[in-house]
Order: sequence, then structure tokens, then C-alpha cells
Amino acid sequence: MRGPGGDRRALAVGVLRAGTLALPLLLAGCLAPMPRPLVGLNRRLEAAGPAAAPSLAGDWLALIVSRDGRDRIELVDLNRQQPVPLPGLERPDAQPLSVAVDARGERLAVVRQLEGRTELVLYRRNLMALQPVVLQPPGVPRRVALRADGRELAVEVSREGQGQVDLIDVP
Amino acid sequence: MGWGSVDRLDPALSGNGRVLATVVRRDMGDTVLLQEQPSGAILPLRQLRRQQPHRSPSLSWNGRYLALIVQQGPQRQVVIEDRATGRLHRLPLPGELVPERLSLAPDGRRIAIALEGGGRSRVQLFDLSVLLEPDLPAGLPVTGPGEAGP
Repeated sequence: MRGPGGDRRALAVGVLRAGTLALPLLLAGCLAPMPRPLVGLNRRLEAAGPAAAPSLAGDWLALIVSRDGRDRIELVDLNRQQPVPLPGLERPDAQPLSVAVDARGERLAVVRQLEGRTELVLYRRNLMALQPVVLQPPGVPRRVALRADGRELAVEVSREGQGQVDLIDVP
Repeated sequence: MGWGSVDRLDPALSGNGRVLATVVRRDMGDTVLLQEQPSGAILPLRQLRRQQPHRSPSLSWNGRYLALIVQQGPQRQVVIEDRATGRLHRLPLPGELVPERLSLAPDGRRIAIALEGGGRSRVQLFDLSVLLEPDLPAGLPVTGPGEAGP
């Protein structure tokens, strides 16, 4: 039979043991590396207006920003922390739905609604040129991803109500 | 492949194009599927069971890292599975913001997350360099702070 002193000793040993077990977990929790928000850049993005649909590659971030009641595509140079102009891409009557950028910031793939239909286009920044991408068999593009070298598209396409994924080589 | 009649959504390619991630609509909830390209062989994911629905998958250069949004009880969480080690990294998010979409940089050094909260949508970037080793194209040297790039 254990007396009160023994109970206290057992309790102390139990607490010590629990502490010994918990301490590394606690320390690991405290010391676990945490992702660091890019505060300056995030502040600039916040100031640009409500934003969605990010695509990040290399030193480039493409996203859809709402401003003055209109959604538009922005391409941000992360080194300069500034958007770059995209001449020939924007149309005031187009509604962008999805955007993807390659790692050189040269190619942008865009799904957009225009004149009542949804289309997939590829924009080449160095040429300032927009090229439609034809889906075969025909379907409605919903979302697009671009390989980092800009040579392949992965497109979510709706065909007769079913979601499918097309892989399309880009010359 | 047997995926002909199943809805497939939300595609993402690894930087080198050898891995394709899609979200497959299943009874248990939307589930991410990884496939080698061009064979279509399915690649295992160890850590993501019972966290459906999955959404917005994004892959690093060689497909080592898969970032996506999962459901943990009532909350959406951003996680990154390291396919080389099997480790699952959970990314804590500021405040009451809910992740909607994400994009992992191909080298795995940064992530952009679209967040909803307070009646507004925003995109925030996070530096992951303390969390993940870079996943670079073969043949590129790894450079650290203060070193010149190639």
C-alpha cells in the first residue's frame, strides 16, 4: 500500500514523464518552419483590388483582378513587384474566367467569355498576339493550366455536361 | 483507363509535363488523381485519404510536391504532399480566410493562394523556402542567398 508521499512521488514522476513526452512535440510545434507571407507584395496586391484565380510560375504571377466593376487579367513581375502591360489581350467586353502563365512570363493561356461564348486563347507577350486554341472535339473550356515551359496546355472542358481534361501541345 | 464516364476537373501539369493532376468526381467526394504522362499510370498519394473534397491541385517542376486544398472537418486547409518523403505539410492561413484556389511555383519556393473572407477575395503569396527543398529541372544548380544565379 502506498502512502500519501508515494502518491505525490508517483504523480510527480507521471507529470515529469508526460512533460518529457510532450515537450519535444510542443517544441516541434513551436519550431516547425512556417511559410512566410510576402508582406510587401501582398499589400500591393490587396491595394490593386479584389483578386482571384492565381497562376504562379518563375518570377511571374498571373491573376484576375476586379476593378471599376470589371474583371481583367494582370501579370505581375514579382522581382519588380509591378504589373506589366499586356497590349492586345484585354477587351472591355471580355470576361476572363481562368488564366495560366509560363515560367518566363511570355505565354498566357486564358479562358474567357466573349459575345456569349466561352473560348480558350493563347497570348504571346513578345508578339503582343492573341491566338485562339481550337478544341477537338468541340467543347466549352472551363479552366486552363500551362506547363512551365509554355509548350503544353491542360484544359478542363465541358462536353455534353461532362467534365473532361484535354492535353494540347503548343508549338 | 476506365475514366471515360467520370467527371474530371481542375487539371494541373508538373513543370516538366510528366505528371498530370486532375480532380475526379467520386461518391466519396472530389478526389485528386495523379498520373504519369504519357503512360497514364496512376501515381500513389499516401496522405490525402478521408480529406475530400480535394480542389485546386498544383504541382512542382518534377511533380515532387503536390499542393491542394482539402477539407478537414468544417474547415478547408492548404496542404502540400512531399511525394519523395511522404510528408504532409499543412499551411496555416491568416485569420478567418478561406482558401479558394492556389498555385504552387514550379520550383516549390512560393505559393499563391486565393482567399475569401470579410466579403472580399484576395490573392496572397507565401515564401516556402524554409519549408520545402527546391524542386528544380535536372541540371540546374541550387543557389542560396547571396549566390549568383546561372
